[in-house]
Amino acid sequence: MEKMLVSVFVLGLVAMVTADCGAMERLKVKQQWAEVYGDGNERVSFGEAVWKGIFHREPATRSLFTRVNGENVHSPEFRAHSSRVLGGLDMCVSLLDDEATLNAQLAHLNGQHKERGIPANYFKILGEVLMEVVPAKLGRCFDHDAWESCYGVIADGISK
Amino acid sequence: MLRVLTGLLVLGAVTAEDCCSSEDRHELQALWKEIWSAAFTGRRVQVAQAVFSDLFERDPASKNLFKRVNVDDMNSPEFRAHCIRVVNGLDTLIGLLDDTKTLKQQLDHLADQHAARDGITAAHFDEIANSFARVMPQVSGCFNPDAWNRCFNKLAHAIAAKLH
Repeated sequence: MEKMLVSVFVLGLVAMVTADCGAMERLKVKQQWAEVYGDGNERVSFGEAVWKGIFHREPATRSLFTRVNGENVHSPEFRAHSSRVLGGLDMCVSLLDDEATLNAQLAHLNGQHKERGIPANYFKILGEVLMEVVPAKLGRCFDHDAWESCYGVIADGISK
Repeated sequence: MLRVLTGLLVLGAVTAEDCCSSEDRHELQALWKEIWSAAFTGRRVQVAQAVFSDLFERDPASKNLFKRVNVDDMNSPEFRAHCIRVVNGLDTLIGLLDDTKTLKQQLDHLADQHAARDGITAAHFDEIANSFARVMPQVSGCFNPDAWNRCFNKLAHAIAAKLH
């Protein structure tokens, strides 16, 4: 009996740690993303922080972005590229609570990324960077588990 | 003297017509912010669906351009996702209004994307600009049509620059 109780307790803990991207988590991530993404120039600096993080973590990724002047994150070409990527993420996050449309959009992005031959582990890197940059902007109101699981839904859809 | 002055005023009115001033841009950003948020996707889809409905009503043939995204069922996931991409594209542009050089790059990118699609003409952009101008005041409390049109037309013309 005691053993049984312990395993129920452990299972409960596991469930807490690996919260899945449920309906409430989706609403929370949408709300927090809206705050982080902001508008206008805020987005430009947010994007800069994300890309600096990516290139720092994995310098080899830079070579994928020569077409959009990845050598210079301040160039208009790269900024425009950054705004497209963040815009893509914005669409997915904002669709988290409309599953059918989200899946249609993920399929669309999946096609675009396959065309460009982006390796799946790059989405993992982007995820890791987001888990640093987003809380830096949100402060203490960042829900790590919700973000990790919901970002996982998006990244899996784009890179499968 | 008076004639010169009138001439200048008319000239001023004409140039103001196609200029999207920094006041206009801020007006546009403010009213867009009011109706737009990642937290409320439903609005984005609804606004875009209303814009496309208006377009298809006025130009039924333009519907053929969207077969690939299942336009026959405007509530299908494919068409809803398309709607999201369109308004998101606009959202990105509005966000870049203060960063002219980056905005130009992004407009160039969109111009290429549209040039690559068969059947889209510059006239379609005038049509959809009209549709937006009709839909926006229905969802925006304090709509400024002049500022909206000046900036929207400027963006639309840049995207249509590589079309015939």
